[in-house]
Amino acid sequence: MRDVAVLGVGMHTWGKFPDKSLADLSRHAVTAALADAGVSWREIQAVAAASSRFSGGKGWGLNGNDVVEDMGPTGVPVYNLSAGCAAGGNAFNIGYTLVASGLYDRVLVVGGEKMPKGFIQTSGVEEEADLEYLRQLAVGMPGPAFWGFLARRRMADYGTTEEQLARIAVKAHQIGKHNDNARFRQEFTIEDVLNSPLVSYPLRLYEICPVSDGAAAVVLCSADEARKRTSKPVWAAASAVATARFDDGIPKGLATVVPPGVTHHSEAKACVSRALTDAGVSPRDLDLVELQDNTVYYELAFPEEWGLCEPGEAESLVERGETMPGGRLPVNPSGGFLCFGEATTAMGVFQVCELAWQLRGESGARQVPDAKLALAQTLGLGGNASAVVLRR
Amino acid sequence: MTAAPVAEGLFAETAEGPRLLGSTCATCGTPYFPKSPVCRNPACANSRMEDAGFGPKGTLWSYTVQYYPPPPPAKYDEPYVPYALAIIDLPEGLRVLARISTGTPEDVVVGADVELVIEKLYTAADGSDVLTWKFRQV
Repeated sequence: MRDVAVLGVGMHTWGKFPDKSLADLSRHAVTAALADAGVSWREIQAVAAASSRFSGGKGWGLNGNDVVEDMGPTGVPVYNLSAGCAAGGNAFNIGYTLVASGLYDRVLVVGGEKMPKGFIQTSGVEEEADLEYLRQLAVGMPGPAFWGFLARRRMADYGTTEEQLARIAVKAHQIGKHNDNARFRQEFTIEDVLNSPLVSYPLRLYEICPVSDGAAAVVLCSADEARKRTSKPVWAAASAVATARFDDGIPKGLATVVPPGVTHHSEAKACVSRALTDAGVSPRDLDLVELQDNTVYYELAFPEEWGLCEPGEAESLVERGETMPGGRLPVNPSGGFLCFGEATTAMGVFQVCELAWQLRGESGARQVPDAKLALAQTLGLGGNASAVVLRR
Repeated sequence: MTAAPVAEGLFAETAEGPRLLGSTCATCGTPYFPKSPVCRNPACANSRMEDAGFGPKGTLWSYTVQYYPPPPPAKYDEPYVPYALAIIDLPEGLRVLARISTGTPEDVVVGADVELVIEKLYTAADGSDVLTWKFRQV
Protein backbone atom coordinates (compact mmCIF):
# COMPACT_ATOMS: atom_id res chain seq x y z
CA MET A 1 0.00 0.00 0.00
CA ARG A 2 1.22 3.52 -0.85
CA ASP A 3 1.03 6.59 1.37
CA VAL A 4 -2.00 8.78 0.65
CA ALA A 5 -2.12 12.57 1.07
CA VAL A 6 -5.12 14.86 1.52
CA LEU A 7 -4.02 17.49 -1.00
CA GLY A 8 -7.05 19.75 -1.01
CA VAL A 9 -10.37 20.21 0.80
CA GLY A 10 -13.41 22.40 0.23
CA MET A 11 -17.00 22.79 1.33
CA HIS A 12 -20.12 24.80 0.76
CA THR A 13 -21.54 26.46 3.87
CA TRP A 14 -24.10 24.28 5.70
CA GLY A 15 -27.68 25.62 5.93
CA LYS A 16 -30.95 25.63 4.04
CA PHE A 17 -30.60 26.83 0.44
CA PRO A 18 -33.96 26.66 -1.35
CA ASP A 19 -32.58 28.71 -4.26
CA LYS A 20 -29.61 26.41 -4.93
CA SER A 21 -29.56 22.96 -6.48
CA LEU A 22 -27.50 20.06 -5.19
CA ALA A 23 -25.34 20.53 -8.28
CA ASP A 24 -24.71 24.12 -7.19
CA LEU A 25 -23.63 23.04 -3.70
CA SER A 26 -21.45 20.19 -4.99
CA ARG A 27 -19.84 22.35 -7.69
CA HIS A 28 -18.90 24.93 -5.05
CA ALA A 29 -17.31 22.29 -2.82
CA VAL A 30 -15.47 20.50 -5.65
CA THR A 31 -14.18 23.74 -7.16
CA ALA A 32 -12.90 24.85 -3.74
CA ALA A 33 -11.18 21.51 -3.10
CA LEU A 34 -9.53 21.52 -6.54
CA ALA A 35 -8.30 25.09 -6.02
CA ASP A 36 -7.02 24.19 -2.55
CA ALA A 37 -5.16 21.22 -4.05
CA GLY A 38 -3.86 23.11 -7.05
CA VAL A 39 -5.30 20.40 -9.29
CA SER A 40 -7.49 20.97 -12.36
CA TRP A 41 -10.70 19.01 -12.92
CA ARG A 42 -9.14 17.33 -15.99
CA GLU A 43 -6.36 15.93 -13.76
CA ILE A 44 -8.82 14.00 -11.55
CA GLN A 45 -8.53 10.31 -12.47
CA ALA A 46 -11.42 8.84 -10.46
CA VAL A 47 -14.36 9.99 -8.30
CA ALA A 48 -15.72 8.35 -5.14
CA ALA A 49 -19.06 9.84 -4.09
CA ALA A 50 -21.52 9.31 -1.26
CA SER A 51 -24.89 8.06 -2.50
CA SER A 52 -27.95 9.88 -1.25
CA ARG A 53 -31.53 8.65 -1.12
CA PHE A 54 -32.73 12.19 -0.43
CA SER A 55 -31.36 14.28 -3.28
CA GLY A 56 -29.78 13.98 -6.71
CA GLY A 57 -28.28 10.80 -8.00
CA LYS A 58 -31.04 10.30 -10.57
CA GLY A 59 -33.05 8.53 -7.88
CA TRP A 60 -30.50 5.70 -7.84
CA GLY A 61 -27.82 7.25 -5.67
CA LEU A 62 -25.65 8.09 -8.68
CA ASN A 63 -24.45 11.29 -7.05
CA GLY A 64 -20.91 10.93 -8.36
CA ASN A 65 -22.24 10.78 -11.91
CA ASP A 66 -24.15 14.03 -11.29
CA VAL A 67 -20.89 15.70 -10.23
CA VAL A 68 -18.96 14.42 -13.24
CA GLU A 69 -21.69 15.53 -15.65
CA ASP A 70 -21.73 18.95 -14.04
CA MET A 71 -17.97 19.47 -13.82
CA GLY A 72 -17.35 18.11 -17.33
CA PRO A 73 -17.58 14.47 -18.46
CA THR A 74 -13.97 13.34 -18.78
CA GLY A 75 -14.77 9.65 -18.83
CA VAL A 76 -13.30 8.98 -15.37
CA PRO A 77 -14.49 5.99 -13.34
CA VAL A 78 -17.13 6.86 -10.74
CA TYR A 79 -17.80 4.91 -7.54
CA ASN A 80 -21.10 5.65 -5.79
CA LEU A 81 -21.10 4.48 -2.19
CA SER A 82 -24.28 3.84 -0.22
CA ALA A 83 -23.92 3.37 3.55
CA GLY A 84 -26.70 5.48 5.06
CA CYS A 85 -25.31 8.42 7.01
CA ALA A 86 -21.86 6.77 6.92
CA ALA A 87 -21.70 7.07 3.11
CA GLY A 88 -19.34 10.05 3.10
CA GLY A 89 -16.86 8.17 5.26
CA ASN A 90 -17.23 5.03 3.16
CA ALA A 91 -16.67 7.05 -0.03
CA PHE A 92 -13.48 8.41 1.52
CA ASN A 93 -12.40 4.83 2.20
CA ILE A 94 -12.82 3.95 -1.48
CA GLY A 95 -10.94 7.06 -2.60
CA TYR A 96 -8.19 6.24 -0.12
CA THR A 97 -8.02 2.65 -1.34
CA LEU A 98 -7.84 3.69 -5.00
CA VAL A 99 -4.78 5.84 -4.31
CA ALA A 100 -3.15 3.52 -1.73
CA SER A 101 -3.46 0.57 -4.10
CA GLY A 102 -1.59 2.41 -6.84
CA LEU A 103 -4.54 2.37 -9.26
CA TYR A 104 -4.78 6.19 -9.40
CA ASP A 105 -2.67 9.16 -8.33
CA ARG A 106 -5.37 11.87 -8.06
CA VAL A 107 -8.87 11.02 -6.78
CA LEU A 108 -11.82 13.22 -5.81
CA VAL A 109 -14.08 12.29 -2.88
CA VAL A 110 -17.38 14.18 -2.67
CA GLY A 111 -20.59 14.21 -0.63
CA GLY A 112 -23.55 16.57 -0.99
CA GLU A 113 -27.13 16.73 0.26
CA LYS A 114 -30.26 18.79 0.11
CA MET A 115 -32.38 17.39 2.94
CA PRO A 116 -36.16 17.21 3.20
CA LYS A 117 -37.71 18.94 6.23
CA GLY A 118 -38.12 17.32 9.62
CA PHE A 119 -36.58 14.36 11.39
CA ILE A 120 -35.07 11.77 9.08
CA GLN A 121 -37.36 8.86 8.30
CA THR A 122 -35.33 5.75 8.96
CA SER A 123 -36.88 3.72 6.14
CA GLY A 124 -37.96 4.53 2.63
CA VAL A 125 -39.60 1.12 2.28
CA GLU A 126 -43.30 0.88 3.07
CA GLU A 127 -43.96 -2.80 3.64
CA GLU A 128 -44.27 -4.89 6.80
CA ALA A 129 -41.39 -7.13 5.76
CA ASP A 130 -39.15 -4.07 6.33
CA LEU A 131 -38.44 -4.10 10.06
CA GLU A 132 -37.77 -0.34 10.27
CA TYR A 133 -41.22 0.25 8.79
CA LEU A 134 -42.80 -2.34 11.07
CA ARG A 135 -41.20 -0.74 14.14
CA GLN A 136 -42.74 2.64 13.36
CA LEU A 137 -46.10 1.08 12.51
CA ALA A 138 -46.42 -1.31 15.46
CA VAL A 139 -44.47 0.44 18.24
CA GLY A 140 -44.80 4.09 17.15
CA MET A 141 -41.08 4.58 17.48
CA PRO A 142 -39.23 6.98 15.16
CA GLY A 143 -35.42 7.17 14.96
CA PRO A 144 -34.59 9.78 17.64
CA ALA A 145 -36.15 7.52 20.30
CA PHE A 146 -33.02 5.34 20.05
CA TRP A 147 -30.92 8.23 21.29
CA GLY A 148 -33.40 8.81 24.11
CA PHE A 149 -33.05 5.16 25.24
CA LEU A 150 -29.26 5.36 25.25
CA ALA A 151 -29.12 8.71 27.05
CA ARG A 152 -31.64 7.60 29.70
CA ARG A 153 -29.70 4.39 30.32
CA ARG A 154 -26.52 6.41 30.78
CA MET A 155 -28.31 8.49 33.41
CA ALA A 156 -29.05 5.24 35.28
CA ASP A 157 -25.53 3.86 34.84
CA TYR A 158 -23.47 6.98 35.63
CA GLY A 159 -25.84 9.46 37.22
CA THR A 160 -25.63 11.76 34.20
CA THR A 161 -27.87 14.79 34.72
CA GLU A 162 -29.99 16.73 32.23
CA GLU A 163 -27.76 19.74 32.95
CA GLN A 164 -24.70 17.71 31.93
CA LEU A 165 -26.39 16.76 28.66
CA ALA A 166 -27.31 20.40 28.04
CA ARG A 167 -23.75 21.54 28.73
CA ILE A 168 -22.54 19.60 25.69
CA ALA A 169 -24.84 21.59 23.40
CA VAL A 170 -23.63 24.79 25.05
CA LYS A 171 -20.04 23.75 24.42
CA ALA A 172 -20.73 22.90 20.76
CA HIS A 173 -22.10 26.36 20.10
CA GLN A 174 -19.27 28.09 21.95
CA ILE A 175 -17.05 26.59 19.25
CA GLY A 176 -19.40 26.66 16.27
CA LYS A 177 -19.91 30.42 16.49
CA HIS A 178 -16.33 30.75 15.22
CA ASN A 179 -16.91 28.56 12.14
CA ASP A 180 -17.96 30.47 9.01
CA ASN A 181 -19.21 27.23 7.44
CA ALA A 182 -21.55 26.38 10.33
CA ARG A 183 -25.30 26.90 10.00
CA PHE A 184 -26.00 27.79 13.66
CA ARG A 185 -23.55 30.34 14.99
CA GLN A 186 -25.20 31.73 18.12
CA GLU A 187 -24.34 30.82 21.72
CA PHE A 188 -26.84 29.20 24.09
CA THR A 189 -26.93 29.04 27.88
CA ILE A 190 -27.70 25.82 29.76
CA GLU A 191 -31.09 27.35 30.56
CA ASP A 192 -31.74 27.97 26.83
CA VAL A 193 -31.04 24.31 26.10
CA LEU A 194 -33.11 23.04 29.05
CA ASN A 195 -35.99 25.30 27.95
CA SER A 196 -36.01 23.88 24.42
CA PRO A 197 -38.83 21.37 23.83
CA LEU A 198 -38.41 17.76 24.89
CA VAL A 199 -38.15 15.54 21.81
CA SER A 200 -37.28 12.06 23.09
CA TYR A 201 -36.82 12.20 26.85
CA PRO A 202 -34.28 13.02 28.19
CA LEU A 203 -33.17 14.68 24.95
CA ARG A 204 -34.33 18.14 23.94
CA LEU A 205 -34.51 19.94 20.62
CA TYR A 206 -31.17 21.74 21.06
CA GLU A 207 -29.50 18.43 22.00
CA ILE A 208 -30.35 16.74 18.68
CA CYS A 209 -28.94 17.90 15.37
CA PRO A 210 -31.39 19.11 12.74
CA VAL A 211 -31.03 18.36 9.03
CA SER A 212 -29.20 20.75 6.70
CA ASP A 213 -28.10 21.17 3.11
CA GLY A 214 -24.37 21.07 2.44
CA ALA A 215 -21.56 19.65 0.32
CA ALA A 216 -17.90 18.86 0.87
CA ALA A 217 -15.08 17.55 -1.30
CA VAL A 218 -11.55 16.22 -0.83
CA VAL A 219 -8.71 15.67 -3.32
CA LEU A 220 -6.51 12.67 -2.45
CA CYS A 221 -3.18 11.97 -4.09
CA SER A 222 -0.11 9.77 -3.93
CA ALA A 223 2.98 10.74 -1.95
CA ASP A 224 4.92 11.58 -5.12
CA GLU A 225 2.15 13.92 -6.23
CA ALA A 226 1.95 15.53 -2.79
CA ARG A 227 5.68 16.28 -2.66
CA LYS A 228 5.48 17.92 -6.08
CA ARG A 229 2.53 20.10 -5.21
CA THR A 230 2.80 21.11 -1.53
CA SER A 231 5.37 21.70 1.19
CA LYS A 232 2.85 21.05 3.98
CA PRO A 233 1.07 17.78 3.19
CA VAL A 234 -1.60 16.24 5.39
CA TRP A 235 -1.47 12.44 5.34
CA ALA A 236 -4.27 9.91 5.52
CA ALA A 237 -2.67 7.62 8.09
CA ALA A 238 -5.56 5.14 7.95
CA SER A 239 -9.10 4.67 6.71
CA ALA A 240 -11.40 1.87 7.89
CA VAL A 241 -14.98 0.69 7.42
CA ALA A 242 -16.99 -1.74 9.55
CA THR A 243 -20.48 -3.08 10.10
CA ALA A 244 -22.27 -3.94 13.34
CA ARG A 245 -21.76 -7.19 15.21
CA PHE A 246 -24.56 -9.61 16.04
CA ASP A 247 -24.51 -9.19 19.81
CA ASP A 248 -23.74 -5.52 20.58
CA GLY A 249 -27.14 -4.95 22.20
CA ILE A 250 -28.38 -2.25 19.79
CA PRO A 251 -31.80 -3.37 18.47
CA LYS A 252 -32.10 -3.64 14.72
CA GLY A 253 -35.70 -3.71 13.60
CA LEU A 254 -37.83 -4.83 16.56
CA ALA A 255 -35.31 -6.76 18.65
CA THR A 256 -31.84 -8.15 19.19
CA VAL A 257 -30.25 -10.53 21.66
CA VAL A 258 -29.44 -9.44 25.21
CA PRO A 259 -25.72 -8.71 24.84
CA PRO A 260 -23.10 -10.63 26.82
CA GLY A 261 -21.23 -7.37 27.49
CA VAL A 262 -21.83 -3.64 27.50
CA THR A 263 -24.31 -2.25 24.97
CA HIS A 264 -22.41 -0.20 22.39
CA HIS A 265 -22.17 0.72 18.70
CA SER A 266 -19.89 -2.12 17.62
CA GLU A 267 -19.52 -0.84 14.05
CA ALA A 268 -18.13 2.49 15.25
CA LYS A 269 -15.79 0.89 17.76
CA ALA A 270 -14.52 -1.65 15.22
CA CYS A 271 -13.64 0.85 12.49
CA VAL A 272 -12.07 3.30 14.94
CA SER A 273 -9.96 0.53 16.48
CA ARG A 274 -8.91 -0.70 13.04
CA ALA A 275 -7.99 2.80 11.88
CA LEU A 276 -5.93 3.51 15.00
CA THR A 277 -4.15 0.16 14.68
CA ASP A 278 -3.44 0.68 10.97
CA ALA A 279 -2.08 4.16 11.77
CA GLY A 280 0.12 2.68 14.47
CA VAL A 281 -1.18 4.98 17.21
CA SER A 282 -3.07 4.57 20.48
CA PRO A 283 -6.37 6.31 21.33
CA ARG A 284 -4.67 8.71 23.75
CA ASP A 285 -2.25 9.91 21.06
CA LEU A 286 -5.07 11.75 19.28
CA ASP A 287 -5.00 15.55 19.37
CA LEU A 288 -8.62 15.92 18.28
CA VAL A 289 -11.70 13.95 17.26
CA GLU A 290 -14.61 14.74 14.96
CA LEU A 291 -17.36 12.29 15.90
CA GLN A 292 -20.93 11.88 14.75
CA ASP A 293 -22.87 13.92 17.30
CA ASN A 294 -26.42 13.43 16.05
CA THR A 295 -27.13 13.95 19.73
CA VAL A 296 -25.13 15.15 22.71
CA TYR A 297 -25.19 11.58 24.07
CA TYR A 298 -22.57 10.46 21.57
CA GLU A 299 -20.07 13.04 22.79
CA LEU A 300 -20.17 11.20 26.13
CA ALA A 301 -20.39 7.61 24.91
CA PHE A 302 -18.08 7.43 21.90
CA PRO A 303 -14.85 8.68 23.54
CA GLU A 304 -15.35 6.08 26.28
CA GLU A 305 -16.23 3.23 23.89
CA TRP A 306 -13.07 3.93 21.89
CA GLY A 307 -10.69 4.19 24.84
CA LEU A 308 -10.08 7.91 24.56
CA CYS A 309 -11.09 8.26 28.22
CA GLU A 310 -12.35 6.06 31.04
CA PRO A 311 -15.97 4.83 31.24
CA GLY A 312 -18.03 7.39 33.16
CA GLU A 313 -15.36 10.06 32.80
CA ALA A 314 -16.81 11.99 29.85
CA GLU A 315 -19.19 14.25 31.82
CA SER A 316 -16.37 15.58 33.97
CA LEU A 317 -14.18 16.16 30.90
CA VAL A 318 -16.93 18.30 29.38
CA GLU A 319 -17.50 20.20 32.62
CA ARG A 320 -13.79 20.98 32.95
CA GLY A 321 -13.60 22.21 29.36
CA GLU A 322 -11.29 19.35 28.35
CA THR A 323 -13.31 18.70 25.17
CA MET A 324 -12.86 22.31 24.01
CA PRO A 325 -10.13 23.05 21.41
CA GLY A 326 -7.62 23.90 24.14
CA GLY A 327 -8.40 20.89 26.34
CA ARG A 328 -6.94 17.41 26.79
CA LEU A 329 -9.43 15.73 24.43
CA PRO A 330 -10.85 18.23 21.91
CA VAL A 331 -14.12 16.84 20.49
CA ASN A 332 -15.76 18.33 17.41
CA PRO A 333 -13.73 21.55 17.10
CA SER A 334 -15.80 22.26 13.97
CA GLY A 335 -18.87 22.71 16.17
CA GLY A 336 -20.06 19.29 15.03
CA PHE A 337 -23.42 18.17 13.74
CA LEU A 338 -25.13 20.25 16.44
CA CYS A 339 -23.85 23.47 14.82
CA PHE A 340 -23.92 22.32 11.20
CA GLY A 341 -27.02 20.15 11.08
CA GLU A 342 -26.76 16.83 9.35
CA ALA A 343 -26.45 16.82 5.58
CA THR A 344 -26.41 13.03 6.01
CA THR A 345 -24.09 11.57 3.38
CA ALA A 346 -21.92 14.68 3.14
CA MET A 347 -20.86 14.50 6.80
CA GLY A 348 -17.99 12.04 6.45
CA VAL A 349 -16.37 14.31 3.86
CA PHE A 350 -17.11 17.43 5.90
CA GLN A 351 -15.23 15.86 8.82
CA VAL A 352 -12.13 15.25 6.70
CA CYS A 353 -12.15 18.91 5.65
CA GLU A 354 -12.20 19.98 9.30
CA LEU A 355 -9.38 17.59 10.20
CA ALA A 356 -7.23 18.91 7.35
CA TRP A 357 -7.77 22.53 8.35
CA GLN A 358 -6.95 21.72 11.98
CA LEU A 359 -3.76 19.85 11.05
CA ARG A 360 -2.64 22.73 8.81
CA GLY A 361 -3.29 25.21 11.63
CA GLU A 362 -5.88 27.12 9.59
CA SER A 363 -8.82 26.93 12.00
CA GLY A 364 -8.55 30.37 13.60
CA ALA A 365 -10.40 30.85 16.88
CA ARG A 366 -11.35 27.13 17.07
CA GLN A 367 -7.81 25.88 16.35
CA VAL A 368 -6.57 22.96 18.46
CA PRO A 369 -3.04 24.05 19.45
CA ASP A 370 -0.31 22.17 17.58
CA ALA A 371 -2.67 19.51 16.23
CA LYS A 372 -0.71 16.63 14.67
CA LEU A 373 -3.01 13.60 14.77
CA ALA A 374 -6.78 13.57 14.27
CA LEU A 375 -9.66 11.07 14.04
CA ALA A 376 -13.03 11.32 12.28
CA GLN A 377 -15.94 8.84 12.54
CA THR A 378 -19.37 8.37 10.96
CA LEU A 379 -22.26 6.03 11.74
CA GLY A 380 -25.08 5.11 9.38
CA LEU A 381 -28.27 3.12 8.94
CA GLY A 382 -27.78 -0.58 8.36
CA GLY A 383 -25.00 -0.87 10.93
CA ASN A 384 -22.45 1.04 8.84
CA ALA A 385 -19.54 3.03 10.22
CA SER A 386 -16.29 4.50 8.98
CA ALA A 387 -13.23 6.07 10.53
CA VAL A 388 -10.25 8.02 9.20
CA VAL A 389 -7.01 9.07 10.89
CA LEU A 390 -5.13 12.05 9.46
CA ARG A 391 -1.68 13.28 10.50
CA ARG A 392 0.72 15.99 9.45
CA MET B 1 -66.39 -4.07 19.40
CA THR B 2 -64.02 -5.76 16.98
CA ALA B 3 -60.28 -5.57 17.34
CA ALA B 4 -57.43 -6.47 15.00
CA PRO B 5 -53.65 -6.69 15.40
CA VAL B 6 -51.56 -3.90 13.88
CA ALA B 7 -49.72 -6.59 11.91
CA GLU B 8 -50.22 -10.34 11.59
CA GLY B 9 -48.03 -12.97 13.25
CA LEU B 10 -46.30 -10.82 15.87
CA PHE B 11 -48.24 -11.66 19.06
CA ALA B 12 -51.10 -13.79 20.36
CA GLU B 13 -53.23 -14.45 23.43
CA THR B 14 -52.48 -18.07 24.39
CA ALA B 15 -53.85 -20.35 27.12
CA GLU B 16 -50.84 -19.27 29.21
CA GLY B 17 -51.37 -15.57 28.49
CA PRO B 18 -49.97 -13.13 25.94
CA ARG B 19 -46.86 -14.10 23.99
CA LEU B 20 -44.61 -12.53 21.36
CA LEU B 21 -44.35 -14.88 18.38
CA GLY B 22 -40.78 -15.50 17.33
CA SER B 23 -38.37 -18.32 16.85
CA THR B 24 -35.42 -19.92 18.59
CA CYS B 25 -32.47 -21.76 17.09
CA ALA B 26 -32.44 -25.30 18.51
CA THR B 27 -28.66 -25.48 18.03
CA CYS B 28 -27.46 -22.33 19.79
CA GLY B 29 -30.57 -21.08 21.59
CA THR B 30 -30.58 -17.63 19.97
CA PRO B 31 -34.05 -16.01 20.15
CA TYR B 32 -35.56 -13.99 17.28
CA PHE B 33 -38.51 -11.60 17.07
CA PRO B 34 -40.25 -11.52 14.69
CA LYS B 35 -39.76 -15.05 13.38
CA SER B 36 -36.57 -15.58 11.43
CA PRO B 37 -36.16 -18.09 8.61
CA VAL B 38 -32.53 -18.65 9.57
CA CYS B 39 -30.21 -18.36 12.57
CA ARG B 40 -28.09 -15.23 12.10
CA ASN B 41 -25.71 -15.86 14.98
CA PRO B 42 -22.28 -16.00 13.28
CA ALA B 43 -21.09 -18.37 16.03
CA CYS B 44 -23.79 -20.92 15.17
CA ALA B 45 -22.78 -23.63 12.71
CA ASN B 46 -26.17 -25.26 12.17
CA SER B 47 -29.34 -23.19 11.84
CA ARG B 48 -32.35 -25.11 13.20
CA MET B 49 -35.23 -22.69 13.64
CA GLU B 50 -38.24 -23.55 15.79
CA ASP B 51 -41.30 -21.43 16.56
CA ALA B 52 -41.24 -19.90 20.03
CA GLY B 53 -43.44 -17.73 22.23
CA PHE B 54 -41.70 -15.10 24.37
CA GLY B 55 -42.94 -13.49 27.57
CA PRO B 56 -44.63 -12.46 29.69
CA LYS B 57 -41.88 -11.51 32.17
CA GLY B 58 -39.15 -8.98 31.43
CA THR B 59 -36.90 -6.22 32.80
CA LEU B 60 -36.91 -2.63 31.58
CA TRP B 61 -33.42 -1.80 30.22
CA SER B 62 -34.21 1.79 29.32
CA TYR B 63 -37.01 4.03 28.11
CA THR B 64 -37.76 7.30 26.42
CA VAL B 65 -40.86 9.46 26.08
CA GLN B 66 -42.12 10.26 22.60
CA TYR B 67 -42.93 13.94 23.06
CA TYR B 68 -43.72 14.80 19.45
CA PRO B 69 -46.35 13.04 17.33
CA PRO B 70 -44.51 10.36 15.35
CA PRO B 71 -44.57 10.63 11.56
CA PRO B 72 -46.31 8.01 9.38
CA PRO B 73 -46.63 5.08 9.27
CA ALA B 74 -47.17 5.46 13.04
CA LYS B 75 -50.78 6.29 13.95
CA TYR B 76 -52.30 7.66 17.15
CA ASP B 77 -55.60 8.89 18.55
CA GLU B 78 -56.24 12.62 18.72
CA PRO B 79 -55.48 14.60 20.77
CA TYR B 80 -51.90 13.34 20.81
CA VAL B 81 -50.61 12.34 24.26
CA PRO B 82 -46.86 11.63 24.74
CA TYR B 83 -46.18 7.98 25.55
CA ALA B 84 -43.27 5.94 26.87
CA LEU B 85 -41.26 3.57 24.71
CA ALA B 86 -38.89 1.03 26.18
CA ILE B 87 -36.22 -1.55 25.55
CA ILE B 88 -37.19 -4.71 27.44
CA ASP B 89 -34.84 -7.61 28.23
CA LEU B 90 -36.58 -11.00 28.46
CA PRO B 91 -35.19 -13.99 30.40
CA GLU B 92 -35.19 -15.93 27.10
CA GLY B 93 -32.27 -13.68 26.04
CA LEU B 94 -34.36 -11.48 23.76
CA ARG B 95 -34.11 -7.67 23.87
CA VAL B 96 -37.27 -6.16 22.38
CA LEU B 97 -38.68 -2.72 21.63
CA ALA B 98 -42.14 -1.96 22.99
CA ARG B 99 -44.65 0.60 24.11
CA ILE B 100 -45.18 0.99 27.84
CA SER B 101 -48.78 0.38 28.88
CA THR B 102 -51.04 2.83 30.66
CA GLY B 103 -49.74 5.19 33.27
CA THR B 104 -47.84 8.42 33.06
CA PRO B 105 -44.43 8.33 31.37
CA GLU B 106 -42.88 9.98 34.44
CA ASP B 107 -43.54 6.79 36.42
CA VAL B 108 -41.33 4.56 34.27
CA VAL B 109 -38.28 3.16 36.09
CA VAL B 110 -35.05 1.75 34.61
CA GLY B 111 -34.64 -1.79 35.91
CA ALA B 112 -38.36 -2.29 36.65
CA ASP B 113 -40.00 -5.70 36.37
CA VAL B 114 -42.48 -5.67 33.51
CA GLU B 115 -44.98 -8.05 31.93
CA LEU B 116 -46.33 -8.39 28.42
CA VAL B 117 -49.84 -7.18 27.59
CA ILE B 118 -51.77 -6.84 24.34
CA GLU B 119 -53.57 -3.53 24.20
CA LYS B 120 -55.01 -0.92 21.90
CA LEU B 121 -52.52 1.11 19.85
CA TYR B 122 -55.06 3.42 18.20
CA THR B 123 -58.64 3.51 16.95
CA ALA B 124 -59.15 2.54 13.32
CA ALA B 125 -61.27 4.67 10.97
CA ASP B 126 -64.21 2.26 11.43
CA GLY B 127 -64.09 2.66 15.22
CA SER B 128 -62.48 -0.70 15.95
CA ASP B 129 -59.37 -1.13 18.09
CA VAL B 130 -55.97 -1.75 16.51
CA LEU B 131 -53.86 -3.84 18.91
CA THR B 132 -50.15 -4.13 19.58
CA TRP B 133 -47.83 -5.56 22.22
CA LYS B 134 -46.90 -3.43 25.21
CA PHE B 135 -45.25 -3.98 28.57
CA ARG B 136 -46.71 -2.98 31.93
CA GLN B 137 -44.68 -2.27 35.06
CA VAL B 138 -45.53 -4.72 37.85
